[in-house]
Amino acid sequence: MKKRADSIEQTPVAGYRVTTCEFLGRVRFDGIILLAVLSFYMVSCNKKPAQTNVFQTTPYKISVPRFFPGQLNIVADNPLTEEGITLGRYLFYDGRMSGRTFPDSLMSCSTCHDQAHSFECGMGGAMFPNGQTYGLTGILTPHFMMPMINLAWTNHGFLWNGKVSVENANPAMRTLEDVTWMAIVAPHEIHGDTARVAALFQTIPGYPALFMKAFGSGHVTVKNMGRAIAQFVRTLISADSRFDRYLQGEYQMSPSERNGYVLFMTEQGGDCFHCHGGDGNPLFTTNLFYNNGKDSIFTDPGDRSGITGRLNDIGAYKAPTLRNLVFRPPYMHDGRYKTLDEVLKFYNSELVWSPSISPLMHHIGTHGVKLVPGQLADLKAFLLTLTDSSFVSNPAFSKPDKFPDGK
Amino acid sequence: MKNRLFFFVLLIEVAGCCKPSETIYRPFGKIRMEFSHTVGGRPLLTDTLLYTTATGHPYMVADLQYFISDIRLYHDGGKTLQLTSDSGIHYIDGRIPGSMQWSLKDGIPPGKYDSLVFTFGINAAKNRSNRFPDPPERDMAWPDILGGGYHYMKMNLMYRSSAGSVLKPFMFHLGIGQVYSSTLPDPDSITAYVQNFFPVTLKTPVVITGGKVQGLQCIMQVDRWFDGIETFDFDNYPGGIMQYQEGMHRACVNGTGVFEGEVIR
Repeated sequence: MKKRADSIEQTPVAGYRVTTCEFLGRVRFDGIILLAVLSFYMVSCNKKPAQTNVFQTTPYKISVPRFFPGQLNIVADNPLTEEGITLGRYLFYDGRMSGRTFPDSLMSCSTCHDQAHSFECGMGGAMFPNGQTYGLTGILTPHFMMPMINLAWTNHGFLWNGKVSVENANPAMRTLEDVTWMAIVAPHEIHGDTARVAALFQTIPGYPALFMKAFGSGHVTVKNMGRAIAQFVRTLISADSRFDRYLQGEYQMSPSERNGYVLFMTEQGGDCFHCHGGDGNPLFTTNLFYNNGKDSIFTDPGDRSGITGRLNDIGAYKAPTLRNLVFRPPYMHDGRYKTLDEVLKFYNSELVWSPSISPLMHHIGTHGVKLVPGQLADLKAFLLTLTDSSFVSNPAFSKPDKFPDGK
Repeated sequence: MKNRLFFFVLLIEVAGCCKPSETIYRPFGKIRMEFSHTVGGRPLLTDTLLYTTATGHPYMVADLQYFISDIRLYHDGGKTLQLTSDSGIHYIDGRIPGSMQWSLKDGIPPGKYDSLVFTFGINAAKNRSNRFPDPPERDMAWPDILGGGYHYMKMNLMYRSSAGSVLKPFMFHLGIGQVYSSTLPDPDSITAYVQNFFPVTLKTPVVITGGKVQGLQCIMQVDRWFDGIETFDFDNYPGGIMQYQEGMHRACVNGTGVFEGEVIR
C-alpha cells in the first residue's frame, strides 16, 4: 500500500498523477484495450451487414424413382428448397392469387388443378361440370387441361403446344416459373394484374417472412411467386401405380393386364408406345407433338403449328402422360372424349386422315388399330394399372390447413 | 566426404534430367465425325414429297434418328484401333444439330488409316433396356417383348402407294427382330430374336496428325435403304416393319451400302 502511495498521489481535481514510466505503461495498456475494443467493433461492423444479407435455405432433393430419367427440368436459378416448396404450396392454394379478396373473386392454381382429379378439374364438379375450365371473368380457356404430373421431367415445352419452352423468343415465356405470371394476366384464367397480386401478398401477414426464408427478401414479387409455385409443382411426382410396382417386381399383372401391356407395346397391336413410352420410359409420354388423327379440318391457332409454323404440325398436340387416366376425364386437348372407352374406340376405328397426320399413325388406312372387344378390354385393364391413388391423396400435395395469416 | 556427396547429388540430377529425353513425346490426334443425309447425292429435304423409290412410290422423310457404335480404325499395317468414346455409342437425330457431330475423345496415334468401321445400331452386348433413361435416346426404346434394347433407327416417312391416293405413313424402324411360330406376328408366338445390327465400312483413308483433329464426313444416302441390293417396297408391309423380320433383314442388307465417308479438308 505504501509503495503504491509513493507512486500515485491522488489529487482532488486531476485524478491520478503518475510517473512517466507508469504513464507510458498505462498508455500501452489503454492502447491495447482501445485496440481490442476497436477490433471488436470492426469485426462487429463487418459481421452486421452479412447477417442481414445471408439467408440459408434447406436444399430439397427429388428422389428419382427407379427407371425415371435422371435428367430433371429444374432451372439453374431456382433450385428446390424446403422453404421454396412450402411457400409454393401456400400460393398454389391461396385464392388471393387473383389479387382480390372478396370470397367470390378468389382464384388460385388449385381452382382448376384439383388434387382429387390428379390436378385437373375433372368432370361433374359444380364449377366445371363438363371439364371445361374458364377464367375468373368467365372467359373459356382455349384448351382443356393437361396433366400436372411429373412435370419435373417435362421437356419440349409446357402446354399442349409447347409454347412455354426455351425456344420461345420471349425470355419471359420459357420455363415453368413463367407460367404463374402468364396465368395471372391471361383473360381466360385470373385476368388480373401482377403488381396488384404482389402488393396484396405483401400485406398478408406471414407471407413476407416466408418469401424472406425462401428467397432472401421479404419483398413480394410475382417472379418469386412463380419460382415458389414451380418448385412445389415439381414435387408432384406420381410413381406408385401398380405398373410401377410391376417394374420393381412387386406386382404380378393379371392375364388381362399383361395382354393389354403387350398390345400397348407392339406396333401391330395397339402401338401406343411410340408416342406414350412404356418400356424404358415410365413417364408414359415422349412429351413430343403428334397429329393423332382426330380431325381432317383444323381451325385451332393454338396447335403445334402455331408455334413452329410447320405445315406438318397442323393439328398436332403434345402427347400427355397416361398416368392416372381414371381421374382425368375428359380427354384430348378439346375434351371431346368423356370416357376412356370413347378414347379407345377412337384409336380403334375412328382415326381420320389429314395431310399432316403423324407418320406414327400407321393404322390410319384402316381408321384404327382394329382390336377386337376382348383386346380393347385388356388394353383398358393395362391402362388402369397406371392409376396412382396415393398421388391424389398425398398430404404433402394437398391444401394446407391454414394459410400463413391463419386464415 | 563433401565431394562424394556433391557427385552423388549431381548424378541424381543428371539422371533426372535425362529421363524426359528417353521418352519421346508424340502427341495423339483426334477424329471428329460429322453426319449428313442425302438423297440422290443432294442434301435430304424433310417433309417434302420429292423422292421416288425404285418401285415407283413417291415418299418424304419426316424424322430420322439412329445409333452408330463401336468405331474401329484399320491401320495400313494391319492393326485395329477400337475407339471407346461415350461408351462407343452415338445418337444422331436430324432435328438435333448437336447430334450431327461426334468429337471422339480418344487419342489416336498419328499415321495413315485405311478405313473406318462402325456398327449400325448397337451390338447385342450393349443393347440393353434402360441403358438410356434420358431423352432423346430414351425415346428410341425397343419394346422388351419384341427383343428389348433400342431402335437402331427410326425413319418415319409418308409415301404414296398409287397415283392419286393419299399419303400413307410408314415406320421404317430397325432393331432386334423376332421369329414367330404363327403366321401373324403374335408376340405370344415369338420363338427367337434376331440381332440385326451390322458393320458399316467407310473405305476412306484417313491421315491422323499428332495434335490435330481430323474431320470425317459420314454420309447416309437415304435412298439406298430402299434401292440397294434388295428392293424395298413399302406396300409389302402394314405401315411398319418392326415385327416383320423379313422386312428388317431386307433393309439391313441394303444398309451396308448406305454410308459413304469423306475426309473433311
